[in-house]
Amino acid sequence: MARKDLLDIASLHREEIEFLLDQSTSFKKLFTRSVKKIPALEGKSVLMLFYEASTRTHSSFEVAAKRLSAEVTNFNVDHSSITKGESVRETIETLQAMRTDYIVVRHGHSGLPGMIARQTTASVINAGDGAHEHPTQALLDAFTIQEKFPDPRGKKVLIIGDILHSRVARSTSTLLQKLGVEVAYLGPGSLVPKYVPESIRRFTDYEAAMAWAPDVVYLLRVQMERQDVQFFPSLREYHRVYGITNDRLAEIRQRGLYIMHPGPVNRGVELCDAVMDYERSLITNQVENGISVRMAVLDWLTPGGEFPRQEAYAAPQRASSPVTMP
Amino acid sequence: MLLLQNARIASENSPVLVEGDVLIVEGKIQHIGSNLAIPEGARVIDARGRVLMPAMFDAHVHFRAPGFENKETITTGSEAAINGGVTGVVMMPNTRPALDSATAIATVLENAKHRSRIPVYTSGCVTKNREGKELAEIEGMRELGVKMLTDDGDTTHDPAVLLRAMQYATEFGMFFASHCEVPELAGPRALNEGVMSYRLGIKGSPACAEEIIIDRDIRLARAAGAHIHIQHVSSKLGMETIRWWKSRGDVKVTAEVAPHHLLFTDEHIGDYDTNYKMNPPLRTQADCDALLEGLIEGVFDLIATDHAPHTPYEKAQDFISAPNGITGLDTALVSLYHHFVRPGKFGWDLVVKRYSAEPRRLMGLPVPTIEVGQEANCVLFDTEAETTFTREFMKSKSQNTPFIDQTLKGRVDMVILGTEVLLER
Repeated sequence: MARKDLLDIASLHREEIEFLLDQSTSFKKLFTRSVKKIPALEGKSVLMLFYEASTRTHSSFEVAAKRLSAEVTNFNVDHSSITKGESVRETIETLQAMRTDYIVVRHGHSGLPGMIARQTTASVINAGDGAHEHPTQALLDAFTIQEKFPDPRGKKVLIIGDILHSRVARSTSTLLQKLGVEVAYLGPGSLVPKYVPESIRRFTDYEAAMAWAPDVVYLLRVQMERQDVQFFPSLREYHRVYGITNDRLAEIRQRGLYIMHPGPVNRGVELCDAVMDYERSLITNQVENGISVRMAVLDWLTPGGEFPRQEAYAAPQRASSPVTMP
Repeated sequence: MLLLQNARIASENSPVLVEGDVLIVEGKIQHIGSNLAIPEGARVIDARGRVLMPAMFDAHVHFRAPGFENKETITTGSEAAINGGVTGVVMMPNTRPALDSATAIATVLENAKHRSRIPVYTSGCVTKNREGKELAEIEGMRELGVKMLTDDGDTTHDPAVLLRAMQYATEFGMFFASHCEVPELAGPRALNEGVMSYRLGIKGSPACAEEIIIDRDIRLARAAGAHIHIQHVSSKLGMETIRWWKSRGDVKVTAEVAPHHLLFTDEHIGDYDTNYKMNPPLRTQADCDALLEGLIEGVFDLIATDHAPHTPYEKAQDFISAPNGITGLDTALVSLYHHFVRPGKFGWDLVVKRYSAEPRRLMGLPVPTIEVGQEANCVLFDTEAETTFTREFMKSKSQNTPFIDQTLKGRVDMVILGTEVLLER
């Protein structure tokens, strides 16, 4: 059942998700031991290829790999030939020659980890590609929710914020829906795409979204760095209209809702300071769970296994399936 | 001397194919009839069951020379044209340097004379270096035969500049072709804004980015009394906008549609397949249906491929980094036959009218027909044979096409231009 790569949530079967969540539970039990390391990946090498800045995801993968006894190499993009104009493809060829077992990749371009995966024998784990997918974030989110709701079917998660630029929203909503969770999006009309799947409720009004009665409020970081144009007038206005203000926190506390956030948090934008001390905030749980989930993923994948190797770097040709008639 | 026996002759004026023998002597059609006597020394070709039609003309191709000869040259581009049954093309001016002066145009035309077996025409830029600021050397280009002005690849951004160009160049009998796109709305991504753009996590380009300029440029042409030709329309509302303006009758508008916009939707992009990355982007099935309707109805005067070669290396990048565009010359006629003529969506008369006659009329060129006295400029097409678009089959220097390695019904068997048999399979 193991795969070579983990590129997205969309292609994961329910059984695979359940297996990974079960494994994550087992790995988490290790954390209470004095020796947290096991030899599962002894002799294996993990290359961290982060084209975008990251603290949490990067260190979480590094800790996970080391706890499985793998060797970790950090490919420092800032000091690599990439700054001399080397293309991603050339980098891949170099990395392939190094015969690494795992490549954990983050890149600003959607679909790029898939391109790498088709060209290497290493197991490729997508650690975030553009606004496409962030599968391990989705798994750790689901794992965190499942700790609070062992049977999450029928529960409701409201994801608030910049859906347009968010790979977390896409992956997490897909995974939660596969587990039977209802998902809704809330955000400014300029940041919640008109064409989200019909199965996801779309709100632009906070009160209407809360009337939907969510069990979990999942706040997304406002990613100012991705916004090449202005999507809303000001951060102050964003906080007032879509953020968790002190007044809104009082209501959330009274209703007993959980709050999640993939981090890093923009205080005073997505949420007021008090949220960080809210007893039902799961933000630190998410960070902790990230390690066990990533251990489960690394342990599950099989580098160098049989896989369909494409001749070209581009996406698979569908030569055998002629186009359908208009 | 060439005698084609029992060919099924197509014309733009009738959906019915007329069977007959066609005798070509010294590059001209001398006789058409049944059971023609075989003149001494004539080469006889059994064309039974095959369609003989005027050769195609593509009014929108990128031959990439000068400046990008690694993608295509005038030689490889024109051989790709012949391979697909095309015997005349109009190059776009987004080369490096851009074709914005008489000097640049003269160089290209001189090259084409020596490097192409078919006539190669070129358009010229509206503005210097396609920057949308200063007018290009319009009259100098006209003297060399340039009829079409376009900043293709980009919209002429400033409407005041375009209006002035229209007011000026219309006096010289030139017309304008518009690549329609508001860059601020479209972005660089070449993916339709919709379900797929959400799924793939790429900010989409909304159809309105194209529709606004279609409308804007027609309004400008109306104000200037100019002829505007709208290039590669991809959206339903774009087609309807042109239809509405044409129905008013107070502005000269022509328009083209590309085979790929009739055939593919954004769903075909699947797992980031860059062979489906083009600009304007592939849209939805509803758009495809509307474009087909517009083609049959005549909202679109012509079919043009927007043949846009890129090297395998460039296209083998991730979807966002890869350049826009697909090749079309090698594949257009066979794919139109396979997907539309064969299933009865439209007839050969439409293919001849829209892909042979009208593009030549747009350029003010003589229109070839299969009639006595006409110069031989024709294609013999086998409707029962198949074509597999392998890399070896393609004559374009690049093979960035969704049809790569597909097998479709239909085959271009012969291409005849005057006394030359340009292609024979």
